[in-house]
Amino acid sequence: MNSNKFFELAKENGINDCELVYTKNNSLSISLFHREISNYSISNSSKLEARGIFNNKAGFCSTENIDSSSFNYLINGIKETAKLIETNEEPIIFKGSEKYYKKNVFSKALEAWDVNDILAKLHKLEDKLRDCDPRVSEVTVDFSKDETETVFKNSFGLNLKQKNNSFLVVASLVMKVDEEVKDDYSFVLSSNPDDFNIDLLVEQVKEKVSAKFNGKTIKNGKYKTVLKRNVVSSFIKAICDSLSAEEIQKHSSHLEGKLHQKVFSSKLTVKDLPLNKNLFFKYFDDEGVATYNKTLIKNGVIETYLYNLTTAKKDNTVSTGNASGRGSRIGISFLNLFVSNGKSSLNDLFNKIKNGVYITSIQGLHAGLNSNSGDFSLQAEGFLIEDGKITSPLTLITVSGNLFKLFNEIIAVGNDSETSFSAVTSPSIAFKNIMVSAS
Amino acid sequence: MISNKLAAEIINLGSSTGADFVEIFFENTFKKLYVLENKELNEMSETNVYGVGIRLLKKFQSVYGYTNDLSKNSLLKLTKELSVSFNSEREIPEIKEFHAKKINKINKKVNFVKDVENEEIVNLLKKCSNTILNYDPRIVRCTTSFSVKDTTNVIFNSKGEIIKNFKEYSRLGINSVASENGKIETRFDGPGSQLGWDYFTKNINLEEISYENAKKVILMLNAKECPSGRFPVIIGNGWGGVIFHEACGHQLEASSVAKNLSVFSNMKGQKIANDIVSAYDDGTMSNEWGSNNVDDEGNPTQNNCLIKDGILVGYLIDDFNGRLMNEKGNGACRRESYKYEPTSRMSNTYIAKGKSTKDEIIKNTKLGLYAVSFNGGSVDPTTGDFNFGCSEAYIVKDGKILEPVRGAILVGNAKDILKHIDMVGNDVALGQGMCGASSGSIPVNVGQPTIRVDDIVVGGRGGSINEF
Repeated sequence: MNSNKFFELAKENGINDCELVYTKNNSLSISLFHREISNYSISNSSKLEARGIFNNKAGFCSTENIDSSSFNYLINGIKETAKLIETNEEPIIFKGSEKYYKKNVFSKALEAWDVNDILAKLHKLEDKLRDCDPRVSEVTVDFSKDETETVFKNSFGLNLKQKNNSFLVVASLVMKVDEEVKDDYSFVLSSNPDDFNIDLLVEQVKEKVSAKFNGKTIKNGKYKTVLKRNVVSSFIKAICDSLSAEEIQKHSSHLEGKLHQKVFSSKLTVKDLPLNKNLFFKYFDDEGVATYNKTLIKNGVIETYLYNLTTAKKDNTVSTGNASGRGSRIGISFLNLFVSNGKSSLNDLFNKIKNGVYITSIQGLHAGLNSNSGDFSLQAEGFLIEDGKITSPLTLITVSGNLFKLFNEIIAVGNDSETSFSAVTSPSIAFKNIMVSAS
Repeated sequence: MISNKLAAEIINLGSSTGADFVEIFFENTFKKLYVLENKELNEMSETNVYGVGIRLLKKFQSVYGYTNDLSKNSLLKLTKELSVSFNSEREIPEIKEFHAKKINKINKKVNFVKDVENEEIVNLLKKCSNTILNYDPRIVRCTTSFSVKDTTNVIFNSKGEIIKNFKEYSRLGINSVASENGKIETRFDGPGSQLGWDYFTKNINLEEISYENAKKVILMLNAKECPSGRFPVIIGNGWGGVIFHEACGHQLEASSVAKNLSVFSNMKGQKIANDIVSAYDDGTMSNEWGSNNVDDEGNPTQNNCLIKDGILVGYLIDDFNGRLMNEKGNGACRRESYKYEPTSRMSNTYIAKGKSTKDEIIKNTKLGLYAVSFNGGSVDPTTGDFNFGCSEAYIVKDGKILEPVRGAILVGNAKDILKHIDMVGNDVALGQGMCGASSGSIPVNVGQPTIRVDDIVVGGRGGSINEF
């Protein structure tokens, strides 16, 4: 792909400042069912995305139909879309950061992983899942492997590249006792094939499903609670969405006017660490700005909002390297969130709340959580904690509250961090109260 | 595009190692998105989604591949990689030529939005936005958007069929944010259709929809918190149908039924709902949001009865999962794009008209909740546990609608809930949504008349309902 030709053609068309992003993706996915490969899928796809400034307005166009006419299509698209834009926000194509902290995160071992070896392991996993407990009624095993290469170029000569790869294995288990059906899954998400630990996946999912039988209901009311790390991750993601400078500037964030104020419990510290070398490593953002590690919430105090170039200019500050998404306007997102560990083990957290509920999963976030206000009402699953110990499972309960209030009332933070699918690494946390409805 | 000659070559190579069915799915989609923030258009984009998905089936096994490189070399390489999954003799004859499959045009020709001037679309967004922003100063932000998606598909398969299809989806999004004394409330409305530009300019009253959006966001801003507990809930018509979509629709899809992973697997002919409940999934409603001339494997869409008088009578089936069930596909196979292997999905799914009026249902309710509008929901098809969140709800006491309450969520289990529907109204309406599952995000209608569930768990931050 001759990007110089694109920039020349753009210039001839009155688009002096523009960027061109080329993304290439390869994937493999395999599903097993009843000891056979039920689905096997491979792909190779690519995309060209172009954003440019025409008559002082930003336009955007993208295509997957990549041939000799693509550049003309993209340039016409930029002009057509830019013509309609009315906002007075000054569009910015970035000249480049002083320094970029590039690291190689591409796993050659994963690239070279032989498909026959993958299949052998998946079959072994399915067999072990089927045989792990007499109550097992169905098992599914899903595997996927992705490889993505992004090349970001612009008319100022910026030329940034990143190549990532990862794999995901999901082991799902259904158990049945009389009419009671329970299910759950365990997973591994990594770029190192050695992390595919069959026995661990089986043990984790078996434990999760087994524990769900003979659930009981509890009285409606307020309870002390321990939220499992995956639940904390979902909530922290919503809180950090409210740190977006765009939401703040447009008066739709609960955290407006709270910069450098203590809003959360002093036990809460959250960092955005895009340069940490894990699966979510990213050294430039979607405007080409160099990313850097930073603290967002320190001991409950908001240290910074998240900025892209446009919102930073408005607040007379600099971008935090959190531009996210593609279009004529670019959004804002955290990149690689970490909630700092506390000192308590999970059992310590149970002992600290003594009596209450341990919430292990929440459902329906898109409908039951308002990330602007922080109010939530969600379907949940978990266990009753009595005298510091897990006793009965709780199914089909709801938990409600307000995120900002909840995270201001932390009893203790655990030390059992795990990274979720959505780039949040968090431990379990004990809170003073959550509203539970079950009966 | 792919020539017939190349399509035959791909199919014959795909079937050479024993596949009993081969399909090529070509897609060329043009999308436009317009976003107006308060009073100015501040975002617009154009996108071309373009590529091919190739599917090989052999008994209960499926292999799928996709690419946007449509050169002969690339497509034959991909087919070869897929075909090595099988290693037996050829089972089906080579294709020499294709014949066009006759399709029933469910969707009538309309004035397509793709032919409308951009400025007209922007003006329409401005009208909606002005109505909302002028309603109340507490509305601090209003984002209106318009998306239009024009898709051309060509399907070739090893039965020698070519199926050509064109569809245009267009949808308006109205999102308002109200704020007062630290409280923030949001509301979204999203009317969508395949009726083209006339739908927005003639069929629906945008002024009224925008006004109602503004009125409701202010109403809910100062509403009390919803009480929690178990009590009767009246669920409004139209978008209220999301309860059936989550509590039953997903569990009737062959993707989970065939693998015995649905609470309703092997239950055909059995009573799963109250006698007064009948339900349909109808992909043949002319130009409706979830309709189509053919599904995404080229089968004609159908009006499928799912529940008749409380008895489970049918599932939503695609040809591949149908093999495990010994049934043929019934026009319910869908996918977001060529990047997804197609599978059984819903189209326009609704609970059929009953005998009660909405007023009768309210009058007969001593103490409960009237849930009018929803943000959406989710379900685990294996256990049947589902949830859905309300965006607009009211307390009903002694047969009268009282004050609004915010933050309500309803949770339940599919097997229980259908038996607890004890009143069904006569005011069926449909509501447009996007449904996400393994074959991507697709347009679906949910629908129902006003219904009452006599006992369901409601979550909220208020106290007991008896305090009202």
